[in-house]
Amino acid sequence: MLSNDIVQKIRDVVGASNVLDTDLDLFGYSYDSSFVPLVPVNKPELVVRPLSTEEVSGIMAIASEKRIPVTPRGAASGRTGGSIPLKGGISLSLDRMKQIVELDERNMMVTAEAGIRTVDLYEHCAAKGLFYPPDPASWKFSTIGGNVAENSGGMRAVKYGVTKNYVMGLEVVLADGSILQTGGKMIKNVTGYDLTSIFVGSEGTLGVITKVLLRLIAMPKKRGTLQVMFASLDDGCRMIHDMLQAGIVPAASEILDKTCLTIAAERRNMKIPGGAAAAVIIEIDGNDDAALDSQTNQIRTVAQSCGSLLFRAAASQQEADELWAIRRGISSAISTLAPDHFSEDISVPRDAFPEVVRLIRKIAEKYGLLIAVYGHAGDGNLHPSILCNTSLPGEKEKVHQAIEDIFAASLSVGGTLSGEHGIGLTKQPYFANAVSETAIRTMKAVKTALDPQGLLNPGKIWI
Amino acid sequence: MKLAPAEMTGKEADGALFRRAASMVHSCDRCGSCLTVCPLFGVAEVEVTGARGKNSIVRALAEGGVQPTRAALKAVDFCLLCRACVEICPANVPTDETMIDVRQHLNDLLGGPKLEYRIVGGILKRPGLVSAAAKALSLLRRTGLGRLAPHGMAPEEFTRSRFLSSFAGPAALGGKVPSSGKTPAKNSPVSYFHGCGMEMMFPEAAAQSREIISTTAPLSERKNVCCGLPHLAHGKRQDFLLLARKNMEIFADDEIVITDCASCGATLKNYGSFFSDTPALKKKAEEFSKKVMDLTEYLAQTAYQPRQKTNAVLTYHDPCHLARGQGIADQPRELLRKAGNFIEMNGASICCGGAGSFHIDYPETAAKILLNKQKNIEETGASLVVTACPGCLIQLAKAAEASGGRFKAVHISQVL
Repeated sequence: MLSNDIVQKIRDVVGASNVLDTDLDLFGYSYDSSFVPLVPVNKPELVVRPLSTEEVSGIMAIASEKRIPVTPRGAASGRTGGSIPLKGGISLSLDRMKQIVELDERNMMVTAEAGIRTVDLYEHCAAKGLFYPPDPASWKFSTIGGNVAENSGGMRAVKYGVTKNYVMGLEVVLADGSILQTGGKMIKNVTGYDLTSIFVGSEGTLGVITKVLLRLIAMPKKRGTLQVMFASLDDGCRMIHDMLQAGIVPAASEILDKTCLTIAAERRNMKIPGGAAAAVIIEIDGNDDAALDSQTNQIRTVAQSCGSLLFRAAASQQEADELWAIRRGISSAISTLAPDHFSEDISVPRDAFPEVVRLIRKIAEKYGLLIAVYGHAGDGNLHPSILCNTSLPGEKEKVHQAIEDIFAASLSVGGTLSGEHGIGLTKQPYFANAVSETAIRTMKAVKTALDPQGLLNPGKIWI
Repeated sequence: MKLAPAEMTGKEADGALFRRAASMVHSCDRCGSCLTVCPLFGVAEVEVTGARGKNSIVRALAEGGVQPTRAALKAVDFCLLCRACVEICPANVPTDETMIDVRQHLNDLLGGPKLEYRIVGGILKRPGLVSAAAKALSLLRRTGLGRLAPHGMAPEEFTRSRFLSSFAGPAALGGKVPSSGKTPAKNSPVSYFHGCGMEMMFPEAAAQSREIISTTAPLSERKNVCCGLPHLAHGKRQDFLLLARKNMEIFADDEIVITDCASCGATLKNYGSFFSDTPALKKKAEEFSKKVMDLTEYLAQTAYQPRQKTNAVLTYHDPCHLARGQGIADQPRELLRKAGNFIEMNGASICCGGAGSFHIDYPETAAKILLNKQKNIEETGASLVVTACPGCLIQLAKAAEASGGRFKAVHISQVL
């Protein structure tokens, strides 16, 4: 329990109205968007909502002096339990820190506070013709700080890379309250260690990211959306593979299996030709209509050679938006198909995508489980989702074995556990299989150096 | 009217309502999509004020992680029921329905609805009252409700606002109902549903509605009772069911029943979903619901030409109960384009913050939401903001006053 004295000190730092301590409010900060159960409740002892880096620094100084665990939180849209305050203490919610500090058009860079929603940052830059490409499915509600802390991916990774490819510098409050600035606007910079990279993807365990400096690129002038249907997932995978091999790099290429298609047809009135068992949704971009037309034609040829059942170019922005809304909402939509839903996030070398999909099919058959598959086929990151009912006898065990097998399948083709969700809580049991002992020792050395008391997001990543 | 035991679902039998709510929120995977559209989260920013937070509370209530306390009731009560979250939810979680069910459950568990809702609910229940709705004010006074007036508030103003407080928030109903799809035959007689809010607060607009309707078809007069929404929303389900059956009888011989109140319309069109225990009644209720049309839905169907076209710039606010409750958004705009210079405002379908009793119970939050609405109206430069719901009209009238006369708020029947 935090003493009244400590709570008062914290109130003095951020203002009384920005400290929440009622039972229900604490409950509200006990969960995220992962399948970690709501009960038993992982309540923080206090929710603190700072407005500035200085306030974060003040909170961390108190926390380190009094040895209070601190779990940073953006929008709690993470899928692995990263922002769940497992050891109580303070839930440090950065949602009030949402200012754009500077849009430097000449250098094409933006500095923003961690709590801004990714979509708001994107739109602010887009208004000036500048493009921040990473677009995790949650981009309309997740925060940029959370994206950086999880090194989020998204649909556009196939052409534009992931969050880390855009982070030029950070402002981080360290465990003892000191404020660290890393990186800068220089494209080339080898002055010492690349501290920025240490914090990108650190899941809130090394420091509290308060500001981010991001690189931008010129906004493509034209965008188009294509939808292609196939009789099998294999055909869809092959089409994406052939397309990339032919040197056609779409801005995004997503694949959905039959289970996903069925739910999309039902919930969103997506039209599906008979016999279709897979859909590929593609975004293309370029500087003029000719560039789009040329890509469309090339992709159509590849699609036909792979036996496409339907090829459609979205005729309007509204149609394109609807297709992407289907894709972005698919995780939540399929979760309604069964009482329980375990979605994974494996990532494999691009070439191994069809192979790992086949292995997952076999796992589904072996355990008699429904496993929906969708994901970023263009970059090798996919989301097998086990749809089950864990209240049935023996089902829980089956699911856990299937998850283990899925991870093993990913590792067997040279892949890994997580492409964009992080390890958090839900992937902890498998972490040691995916990285070497030396790697874990090295990571722990970094952790100990930066957070010797183990106060930052305790209980995450490794067991 | 005596209800058979099976219909006495006012108090939930064996926690059935709560179990239904718990199963509905089970699909929520807490993604956070709703947080981008929830007007309350937009101004309060704290997790439990958003749809995700409230659904999680319901789930934790079912799983034993949250206790059924007054605080929990307050949390589920703090919802506009505007359905914005329902529309965006990838998992189709009907947050509005769950909130209604859990309110009923917690009210039953912790002891009835607030005193003022009980009193007003009782008054509205009297048969034939709506035709005499204007008398309700004096009735309210006779019940002694005026004594509850806080110091310094004029009794009349207070009772008016308390009367309003009995109206339910935007949803309080089942899911979105399909448009009636009725094609009124030329000159076939139609009936008008007297809504409490319209008769009580805007009798002149209600009179305009009847006048407009009577130019299109012979209008029959019926003395209906309240649609029941206020009772339903505040944990008086039995009363709601009684009123629903009464209305079904009153309009038994009618073909088309027109309402100029979005909330009444959404309620009347939903009667069927509340009688699922008794198939015969359910069928009867569904047949009744098919007769019900919103005024704008009816006028658009009959290709109504407004009596005049003004040069005034008009903008339109979508009542939650019309746009999301009944899927009616194009028809009022179509009519307004014929009646004046129509201009769309930003966020036209965002709840105005009125939400039945919400603006009385949470005035500060409602005021913040309304201020955003006011800014959006002012940006259009319109001199009139038009809507189709007495609850919204109250809020918009406040916004008009706050804008210092830059615009006025009217019911759609007043410009057609």
